[in-house]
Amino acid sequence: MAVVTLEKVVKRYGPLDVVHGIDLDIAHGEFVVLVGPSGCGKSTTLRMIAGLEDISDGTIRIGDRVVNDLPPRDRNVSMVFQNYALYPHMNVAENLGFSLKIANRPKDEITQRVAEAAGILGLDDLMDRLPGQLSGGQRQRVAMGRAIVRHPDVFLFDEPLSNLDAKLRTQMRTEIKKLHQKVKTTVIYVTHDQIEAMTLADRMVIMRGGQIEQVGSPMDIFHNPANLFVAQFIGSPPMNLADGVVTDAKTVRLENGMELPLTADMAGRVAAGTAVVMGIRAEEMVFEGHGDAGAQSTRVDITASLSEPLGNESLVFFEFCGREWVCRMFDPRPVEPGESLGVHLNMDRVHLFDKTTEIRL
Amino acid sequence: MKRKILSPPVLLLLPAMIIIVAVILLPLLLSLYTSFTPFKLTRPDTFYRFIGLRNYERLFTDVYFWAAFGRTFVVLTIALNVEMMLGLGLALLVNRAIAGQRTLRTIMMFPMMFSPILVGFQFKFLFNDNIGLVNNALQSLGIAQAIPWLVDEYLALFAILTAEIWSSTSIFAILILAGLMAIPRDPIEAAKVDGCTVWQTFRHITLPYLMPFMFIAMTIRSLDIARAYDIVQIMTAGGPARRTELLWTLISRTGYVDANMGLANAMAYISIFLSIFFTWYFFRKLMAARRYMGGAQ
Amino acid sequence: MMVSHASRKILLKWGRWVGTFVAMSLICIPGLWIVLSSFRPNVEILSKPAVWIPENINLDHYRAIFSSDPGQGAVPVWNYFQNSMIIASTSTLIAIIIGMAGGYAFARYRFRGKNTLFLGFMLSRTVPGIALSLPLFIVYAKLGIIDTEFGMILIYVALNLPFTIWLIDGFFRQVPEELGQAAQIDGCTPWQAFWHVEFPLAKSGVASAAIFAFLTSWNEFALASQLTRSTGSKTLPVGLLDFTSEFTINWGGMCALAVIMIVPALLLTFVVQKHLVAGLTFGGVKG
Repeated sequence: MAVVTLEKVVKRYGPLDVVHGIDLDIAHGEFVVLVGPSGCGKSTTLRMIAGLEDISDGTIRIGDRVVNDLPPRDRNVSMVFQNYALYPHMNVAENLGFSLKIANRPKDEITQRVAEAAGILGLDDLMDRLPGQLSGGQRQRVAMGRAIVRHPDVFLFDEPLSNLDAKLRTQMRTEIKKLHQKVKTTVIYVTHDQIEAMTLADRMVIMRGGQIEQVGSPMDIFHNPANLFVAQFIGSPPMNLADGVVTDAKTVRLENGMELPLTADMAGRVAAGTAVVMGIRAEEMVFEGHGDAGAQSTRVDITASLSEPLGNESLVFFEFCGREWVCRMFDPRPVEPGESLGVHLNMDRVHLFDKTTEIRL
Repeated sequence: MKRKILSPPVLLLLPAMIIIVAVILLPLLLSLYTSFTPFKLTRPDTFYRFIGLRNYERLFTDVYFWAAFGRTFVVLTIALNVEMMLGLGLALLVNRAIAGQRTLRTIMMFPMMFSPILVGFQFKFLFNDNIGLVNNALQSLGIAQAIPWLVDEYLALFAILTAEIWSSTSIFAILILAGLMAIPRDPIEAAKVDGCTVWQTFRHITLPYLMPFMFIAMTIRSLDIARAYDIVQIMTAGGPARRTELLWTLISRTGYVDANMGLANAMAYISIFLSIFFTWYFFRKLMAARRYMGGAQ
Repeated sequence: MMVSHASRKILLKWGRWVGTFVAMSLICIPGLWIVLSSFRPNVEILSKPAVWIPENINLDHYRAIFSSDPGQGAVPVWNYFQNSMIIASTSTLIAIIIGMAGGYAFARYRFRGKNTLFLGFMLSRTVPGIALSLPLFIVYAKLGIIDTEFGMILIYVALNLPFTIWLIDGFFRQVPEELGQAAQIDGCTPWQAFWHVEFPLAKSGVASAAIFAFLTSWNEFALASQLTRSTGSKTLPVGLLDFTSEFTINWGGMCALAVIMIVPALLLTFVVQKHLVAGLTFGGVKG
């Protein structure tokens, strides 16, 4: 178990920079999730920590050792791959014990540690099976077992759940979380699925284009996204946006001419005349007669274009300011396309982003 | 990052490159050089006499050479086409067989293990005008006259082609059969539902799917195209009176029997280009077919 | 005349059956005739009119070629067999080791000039044996390795490398790259990862490449016939020519030697025939 430190880490393929000098400190026992759209450099970063990719520039430390030039085997990390990478010619027990066998550990120690891992993951009945005879979820478990058998300093997960169906994914997510609480090893986990990231992480690292956009706890990032990209990437359904300008009268004038009053706090922070993008989450808007949007709310009228009933709530889609918006209707009633509705926006929860820099104001 | 002198792939490929360069490339450069000399094995001093393109000039006006060249080209073209057609037919037959498919496939591989020299000998035996199986069988059927299979020009070429085709059809059949077995059912069923006849289904679904397999077979086969030398060498040795001479038997005669290395090397270069031409042609077809299949999947 | 759908189907079925039978007969008869003739006395082989039903089956031809009396048609079969065995198996072993390194490099690494190099290897295979034998004859004579087993092993290694690399490349590409990486994270050196994980998975492919290499060396004639001269290095295919003299051919002896030559090839091929086809096809289609 160890602290992992990345200092100005760069990955270069020829003239192409894939990772642009990232800095990151990961505390002992922490569960850190790297999340971002595909091609953002998150997997490359993980593979550099594992030693599967050379580090073009910068330093990576595990514990107090600089590992830049260490081969994977000397870093004492273990990794769960997207396709599990189980050894097809070895049965489950052999897969679990392989790393110990390579390390020339005594037979009974191997048996004991394999049994321990199998116990934690409920693999006891499968020990003689070959990977080909296992279901997706079982393979996933074996892959995790193989990782914990080594008692590594750091666990690395590379999109481990993306090959499972939706139901199994949720289940395995919970198991990974439980596993971490049990073994308390530092975990670095890569995913493109923001829900997975939110549910698992102690700390999330949002990446885009080889750079870190924001680091923070899931709730912090959800409520205080650093910029427009993070705001859109985190949260489902995605944040609703509208272009506008802040006026002298402490309002934001949207493109459709509508003026919404800002809170005093917000108006104090943003200078008049700033071109902005206004964002508000689907949860922070309330349909008339379906709850209370707080003291700072303001009402707009919309025409529903589609509603998706989900049981305890409905998602109502409508066009606003030239963009598609979506709003949750709690305690739902049937909504017909074309129906006119009133929506209260909780202006206390509105975010303003600078239109050019995209940074939250 | 520490710099290594040689990257891993170079290191891994180095032994292979050294061997190929030492045993194939360098000797070929030597033979390219000798093709510009009048080198005769019996007179070592001729090795150093440079005569430019005179060997090639001589070849271009040599009737025997052009006859052998043309014959080689025609024999290869006929052989490859017939082998492919027969291979396709055989594969289709075996594919439709309900029982004993494994056994049939095993039998089909039989000729692949025969050394070409053995194939040549075997057919020389079968086509022997006096005691051969073919003439014996014909005689038993009442055809009294012994047919001079290996003496007459066209009959001899026919016998050689038979041997060649016998030995190489199986590689086509086996690869095409593997292709047939790998065809997904869906497109064929879709075609049937769309109202295709059996022939149309074959022509528009099955055959395009088989193309890459046919071209692999062609490529593999053309790598080894000069194996025909072994067969001809033992069946007729280019004779009688040069009537079945192929490029390769001519090279062997010029180089070893006449000891005229310079001239033989000039011919050898032309034969190398012929081989490369065949391989390159089919390799490109294979690449195209592969891309096509890649797009379809 | 109208033929009903059902009876046409039956007719087709019979047609296919007959077709298959004829095709298989054409494949088998030439070989079987050689085997049969190797057990028949010369009187029967040479008799006119032909004797169809063998009346006399014996091992005379085998006895004759293994005997020590050249007058009886003795041939140093045992020497040839040994030469062939040593040359074919040694060259196969070396070609496989070197080819495995090369095939692995092609399958796992990206580097500049990869396609050109691959094409270069393949093109080196297209050089006709007889064309290659001319310069090798000169070089080997100069180096003094003409008419030696070493010389033949060397050339067969070079001859087999391109195809071996092609096949092995195809097989290693079937083994996911992640497996080797997982093994390295599990504490393996690159060599251990290869040996414990990647090699066992590509083993059958390597075996089929080995069979191809062995068959090629075992059966090769064009080069061997020019580069070997004495009983110390002549291989079986070249030995077959011992039965051909100026005017007569010892058919029975030749048949017997042919049988001796084909048996090892047959045995080897049938042991691994499944991998053989797999090796040929997916190396090409998916590569």
